[in-house]
Amino acid sequence: MIKKPTLDAKIPEGPISEKWTNHKFNMKLVNPANKRKHEVIVVGTGLAGASAAASLGELGYKVKSFCIQDSPRRAHSVAAQGGINAAKNYQNDGDSVYRLFYDTVKGGDFRAREANVHRLAEVSNSIIDQCVAQGVPFAREYGGTLSNRSFGGAQVSRTFYARGQTGQQLLLGAYGALMRQVDAGTVELFTRREMLDVVIVDGKARGIIVRNLVSGELEEYAADAVLLCTGGYSTVFYLSTNAVNCNATAAWRCYKKGAHFANPCFTQIHPTCIPRFGETQSKLTLMSESLRNDGRVWVPKKKKDDRKPIDIPEEERDYYLETKYPAFGNLVPRDIASRNAEEVCVQGRGVGPTGYAVYLDFADAINRLGKDVIAARYGNLFAMYHEITGDDPYETPMMIYPAPHYTMGGLWVDYNLMTTIDGLFALGEANFSDHGANRLGASALMQGLADGYFVIPYTLGNYLATEKPAPVNTNAPEFTEARKQVSQGIKDLMNIKGKTTADEIHRQLGDIMIEKVGMSRSEEGLKEALEEIPKIRKKFYEDLCIPGDTKDYNKELEKAARVADFLELGELMARDALERKESCGGHYRVESQDEEGEAKRDDENFCHGAVWAFQGPDKVPERLIEELHYEHVIPSNRSYK
Amino acid sequence: MINLKEPQISSVCKKMLTGITGLSLVLFLVAHLIGNLTLFAGPDVFNAYAQFLHHFMHGMFIRIAEVGLLGFFALHIWSALSVQRSKKKARPSRYEVNAYAGGASKKSIHSLYMAVSGITILVFIIIHLINFKYADHEAVGTMTMENGIEVTNVYKLVVLTFQGNFGLVLLYMVAMGFLCSHLLHGIWSAIQSVGLTRPSTIPYLNLVGMAFAVALAVGFLLLPLLIFMMRGTFDPNAVPEYGTHARLMLAPLAPWILG
Amino acid sequence: MKVNLKIWRQAGPDAPGKLVDYSVENIDPSQSFLEMLDTLNEQLVKSGQEPVAFESDCREGICGNCGLVINGIAHGSKGGCTTCEIRMRQYNDGDTITVEPFRAKAFTLIKDLVVNRSAFDRIMSKGGYVAMNAGSAQDANLQPIHQDAAEAAMDAAACIGCGACVAACPNASASLFVGAKVSQYTWLPQGQVERSTRALKMVKQMDSEGFGDCSNHAECEAVCPKEISIANISRMRREFTKALFTR
Repeated sequence: MIKKPTLDAKIPEGPISEKWTNHKFNMKLVNPANKRKHEVIVVGTGLAGASAAASLGELGYKVKSFCIQDSPRRAHSVAAQGGINAAKNYQNDGDSVYRLFYDTVKGGDFRAREANVHRLAEVSNSIIDQCVAQGVPFAREYGGTLSNRSFGGAQVSRTFYARGQTGQQLLLGAYGALMRQVDAGTVELFTRREMLDVVIVDGKARGIIVRNLVSGELEEYAADAVLLCTGGYSTVFYLSTNAVNCNATAAWRCYKKGAHFANPCFTQIHPTCIPRFGETQSKLTLMSESLRNDGRVWVPKKKKDDRKPIDIPEEERDYYLETKYPAFGNLVPRDIASRNAEEVCVQGRGVGPTGYAVYLDFADAINRLGKDVIAARYGNLFAMYHEITGDDPYETPMMIYPAPHYTMGGLWVDYNLMTTIDGLFALGEANFSDHGANRLGASALMQGLADGYFVIPYTLGNYLATEKPAPVNTNAPEFTEARKQVSQGIKDLMNIKGKTTADEIHRQLGDIMIEKVGMSRSEEGLKEALEEIPKIRKKFYEDLCIPGDTKDYNKELEKAARVADFLELGELMARDALERKESCGGHYRVESQDEEGEAKRDDENFCHGAVWAFQGPDKVPERLIEELHYEHVIPSNRSYK
Repeated sequence: MINLKEPQISSVCKKMLTGITGLSLVLFLVAHLIGNLTLFAGPDVFNAYAQFLHHFMHGMFIRIAEVGLLGFFALHIWSALSVQRSKKKARPSRYEVNAYAGGASKKSIHSLYMAVSGITILVFIIIHLINFKYADHEAVGTMTMENGIEVTNVYKLVVLTFQGNFGLVLLYMVAMGFLCSHLLHGIWSAIQSVGLTRPSTIPYLNLVGMAFAVALAVGFLLLPLLIFMMRGTFDPNAVPEYGTHARLMLAPLAPWILG
Repeated sequence: MKVNLKIWRQAGPDAPGKLVDYSVENIDPSQSFLEMLDTLNEQLVKSGQEPVAFESDCREGICGNCGLVINGIAHGSKGGCTTCEIRMRQYNDGDTITVEPFRAKAFTLIKDLVVNRSAFDRIMSKGGYVAMNAGSAQDANLQPIHQDAAEAAMDAAACIGCGACVAACPNASASLFVGAKVSQYTWLPQGQVERSTRALKMVKQMDSEGFGDCSNHAECEAVCPKEISIANISRMRREFTKALFTR
């Protein structure tokens, strides 16, 4: 190691359970009459963005809210199925703020910031109160109280849910709150706008450049602070459970303007998704993990065995999770299930048309419990699977394969959610702070809403009261300059006039990413990725083809601009994965495993967040670190054998 | 009569209005049908019923009812046409392909052409009024009731109108077809419009509405059809043999109406 | 397999539009309808033509972004699903499929198959929420809610705001969308204070957006991806009428 510059996370002093309370008191306030003089830009309208914009509007700030879809309600938070955690302990089963904090730090494999996670656990209860008060129709018991289920390996029932549409209902709650502020005039809504750059004046984020996706015009907006709530970057893999328009462009452009990017290699691959069928697939569909409660995972023992699953006799099947992990069997954590599925497929024992799938067999469960019981438990999932694949899971085993699902990495933020650019904040999946190297089920919704409803209203006020940003408008030369740059970037892409579509390039990138920067990563593979990605990038800039006009609704142009950023982000992910010579959470380095082939953390050398600072185009970024200290949850090994 | 300028009235109010007036008109049809069916009880019962209608409350009842009906028709037509107008405005560019989604949908030619069936019914009502209400009641003369009162012989008027007049019977059949079509969608739709449905009751209300529509249309057709087909049974000059006829539904009222 | 397509092409809101013939070959039956259109678009882009503009995002039936009228039926003939959930195996080799945008005055066309549905947002801004500032909520379990009521609210709340109800309605009415939202909050103790203003304001906004009136065809329920019952419209009417007399 040459040098190890560290970053100050500005974690407040005091015992962990009092840090947030004390910090709230110590922060400066903006006088109610002054709030309306402050303009705030919120980019993105998912759980974090909508809740932040609504809450800031309620406080009286003048908010401008931006989204790329035609309506704020379509942000991809809408697709979250399972639920949202909170330490309510309504079940009297021993849950507490501390336990939720503990589980989350441990689940994150000791790579999350303790103080942030504790705050998350503290405000989790207020989130449930807030959402219920908004009329979110959570599931209820017969007595009328809220219903809970257990989720993601937790030993307590703390997950609140609204059928399989929890994300949708929470988002509609936040969206409703946002639209109420739109009606009240505190929030101005800008739909079908894609943020293409952040504008920095005197070292502070003071505005954004967006492209109006209908007219194609570039527009400039100025404000006293910019909140980035733009989600994760799983679509760098091309095929993922994310929506097709999810992208990293806003965060990436901020990175290139000086916002450091933390832990880009921490990605979560979800084990139970419907496998891809072929080249033209655009998206992977997630199926609830609960399927693993009754389904048995297996592949044929023989390579390239193309017999029908029912024709393969029992002794020629390899129930690899059950043999390898007798204690947990098919219920091993997400990362382990995913990695093992990949392993058997790489060995050539995968099934299905592409050879990248494993069976999830319900025959035993149906024999044991009867078809009716299985139908009652999984009927809707079976129907969905049948609809998508044409196979009936009651008759033939399901096929599943892991799919990129969530990215724990993101823009580095301090305790106040501010990035390394003053006045630029990152909330929700766009930041890196709370999930460490692995996110527990039902925690993403919690974090998005915590940041938006209960953290940013305080910390933003403190920033504005402390910094007292000088007035600025879009006539400032910095805006003109940023706009010129963005405009030139678009022109450059349009002028390539080659023969390859953005999707083709994106698929090529995705193939490399999933193979080499996916579930298991090796030094060799990562080095190959670092060579191959620039080649694809070169091809992109030489042979890209975008039809149509810039001043029009132009989907191909949108896609191309996003792919351009993925091509750079992908490289950074590989670089980060290469540098992190340990296995932790979703990051598995084949070189770092114990005698039994399980992930081995290296707390001595890597108990830190890796924070990447952009140094200029085609320059290797600088790797800074944020040291992580564990005072309450002492790092231990995970074992599932 | 119809205000062509769109007044500021909520779409929900308009639906309520269409529904309430529609349901009321259906109630009128039920009463009308029951009245019609008294014809099969014999000329004296039918004529007594007519006499009752025209003299109840010193003739005030029928006036009020007529004005009320006219008002209901007008409101029904106005609110329904207003929905029609909104429809044209709300989709300026038409679909190239039109189809029925099936399943829970109740879209049918009946629901799509409510305006056509409605206007046809309106035209029919005018003809129907000319046939009977504004017919020459002097020409058919009177009939002496059991208690000696002379009443207009509307029985004779009805029988003469339909007997041997195939064209008119056909016209009535066509008109009842349109009425049936209108009500196949109209009855259940009116219940939905006034907000009296729940998820569980919708299929039943729809079926009941349709059954009611068919029953009403068939019921109304019985009279012209039977008169036309069973020439021997319906004699325009029939004189009731008092005391032998069953008085059916008018019997309890008879002493009171007829003095 | 192969399909012939007739797709509505229109360069902009004021440009003339027409159906244009295309054909797509080598379709995998497991492909979704939108992936089939992706394939077509890739062909078009590679041959230097402008791809067909259409919208989609989550591609798993929840975001409400996609929406096409396929052979005259919004979200296709299968029912209970969004356009992105349609799989090509439901068609036969050689089928001709007509694809049109959602048509309504309130949904102005942007390009080809893309329409502007922000009228829905404006309706929602008039009361599609419980007015509750962050931080002022009481404990979540203080008000018990009958399980049946919670379920009924959820049935109505399942709306994804795709606009298929408007597209399918012979009158281009938004009653199901508004009915579902108004109805959702009638089942819950939360938001009772605003109950009557919500019904009045949302209906008023709906009327002012240029949607047609409802004629109870129930075509909306048949195409609704979440199969939301038109009983919600009925409930909205009760709610509205009550509000007229109580406010």
